[in-house]
Amino acid sequence: MSAAAVSPGLRLWGAYVRWSARQPVLASLVPFVPVLVLWAAVVQSGIFPRVFLPGPIEVVEKFGTLMANGILPAYLEDSVVRLAAGTAVGLAIGIPLGLLVGLSDRAYRVLWPVLLFFQAIGDIAWLPILLIWFGFGLTTMIFVIVYTVLFPVVLNTVLGVRSVPLELHRAALSLGASRARVLWEVVLPGALPNIMTGLRNGLGFGWRALIAAEIIVGTSGIGFLMFDARRAGSVVEILLGMAVLGVLWYVVDSWVLAPIERATGQRWGLVTR
Amino acid sequence: MPSTEAETGTYTIAPMRRPGRVAGAAAFVVPLLALLVIWEAVVRAFDVSPRVFPAIEPVVKAGIEATLDGTLIRHIGASLGRIALGTLIGIALAVPLGIAMGTNRAVSTFFTPLLRFFSVLAGIAWIPIATLWFGYGFGAITFVIFNAVFFVVAYNTLLGVTSIAMPLRHAAASLGASRWQLLSEVLVPGALPNIVTGVRTGLGFAWRGLIAAEMIATNVGLGYMLFVARDFYRTEVIVLGMIIIGALWLLIDRLLLAPLERATIERWGMVRAA
Repeated sequence: MSAAAVSPGLRLWGAYVRWSARQPVLASLVPFVPVLVLWAAVVQSGIFPRVFLPGPIEVVEKFGTLMANGILPAYLEDSVVRLAAGTAVGLAIGIPLGLLVGLSDRAYRVLWPVLLFFQAIGDIAWLPILLIWFGFGLTTMIFVIVYTVLFPVVLNTVLGVRSVPLELHRAALSLGASRARVLWEVVLPGALPNIMTGLRNGLGFGWRALIAAEIIVGTSGIGFLMFDARRAGSVVEILLGMAVLGVLWYVVDSWVLAPIERATGQRWGLVTR
Repeated sequence: MPSTEAETGTYTIAPMRRPGRVAGAAAFVVPLLALLVIWEAVVRAFDVSPRVFPAIEPVVKAGIEATLDGTLIRHIGASLGRIALGTLIGIALAVPLGIAMGTNRAVSTFFTPLLRFFSVLAGIAWIPIATLWFGYGFGAITFVIFNAVFFVVAYNTLLGVTSIAMPLRHAAASLGASRWQLLSEVLVPGALPNIVTGVRTGLGFAWRGLIAAEMIATNVGLGYMLFVARDFYRTEVIVLGMIIIGALWLLIDRLLLAPLERATIERWGMVRAA
């Protein structure tokens, strides 16, 4: 039979594929195992000096010490609070602005080119002048994140608002809905999938902006941890910082943002089509 | 009727009837000119200190001065050179790798979480270690751009290849397509819209990474120009740099990336949907 010709390795692989289809969460962790093993092997082989590339065990040990002495939790909290505060403000400005630009032809004609231009300048290019205005501190960092989150949210909200078909507006109006109700029950839900996409993009950029701001402003946070370690030449902490950043964002993205996006897409996506 | 949406649009707004090229450009430029007027008026009315925000004239002067003594060209050239090199290497490595991983479903499900993890980290988070590995300068910055583009493009290529309907691949194979034909006539064209989207996103990260890296790790380039000007409170140079950064990105995005994306999606997206 053909099954006899299949090598045991391949059969194991087949078993893994069948298992992973049933355990999606665990299956997304398994691929990291060979990467860690490979990393440890490269470090063991001594191709690169240990100072340049420490092994996974040293990074885990460092994680333990920094958790124990409270530095890592404190920095992590700083970074997450900054990101959350900046995002909240960005959404609070971005969604109303997007609704305005999306609904009013006049506002669109005046503001759209301006929005595109300021979006193009990019968050990080604002850092030097922000440092002059606000100094090295929290305001500067929050400003950068708000700026970064704002534009993807505004631009996508506009797209979303404009994708709501005219018939739905008319139907709601002719059924006697007030303008405010049309906004609340037709336009906003219709634009929600796009708003979520905007938020996700904005957070992707905001996240990077935060790291850059923390490196340059340098008072606390994961970005600061990494760059401070770089100054001291300690690669272990840099790698630890990268791992923490990656894991944190992975968790936020796949456990918070993606489900919300999927839910709004499923709930409202059909309405906008 | 969903199909009439493009013609009727929403009320009050309406995806405006496409104006001519000149009128379109004017509609884009006029609000920006208005912004310039507001800028000048505010600076004059409130007598803003040049150490806080410059008037228009010093910015223009700084621009002319920097152009004449050649520093501006040098900074722009350095930035564009780095981004071009990093991006080209990134795309050249990411596309073949993405396609290779995408051809087998089991291999692609294995690599997807890895690529997602690294595309999340791509760009700025690599600055500290890149400067340690390559030293401050050209190598570190190009590496940051390279990996911003590489991971995002590889991830999107992988998504693109896996999104090609299996029946299409089977059909091509059963019609006697060779491996090479399958690659060049089914896989690459099918993944192209995703690849281009990946390039656009990756370049967005790379551009920001470039500016950040230049502030931290070099002595030439637009980011460096801004950051040094900060030390001397020369806001006119900072604002000049910001305008140039914005204009350059608009040019790259509108003249290079957006048309490319539109062309591939129109050309190949339709093919897939039909």
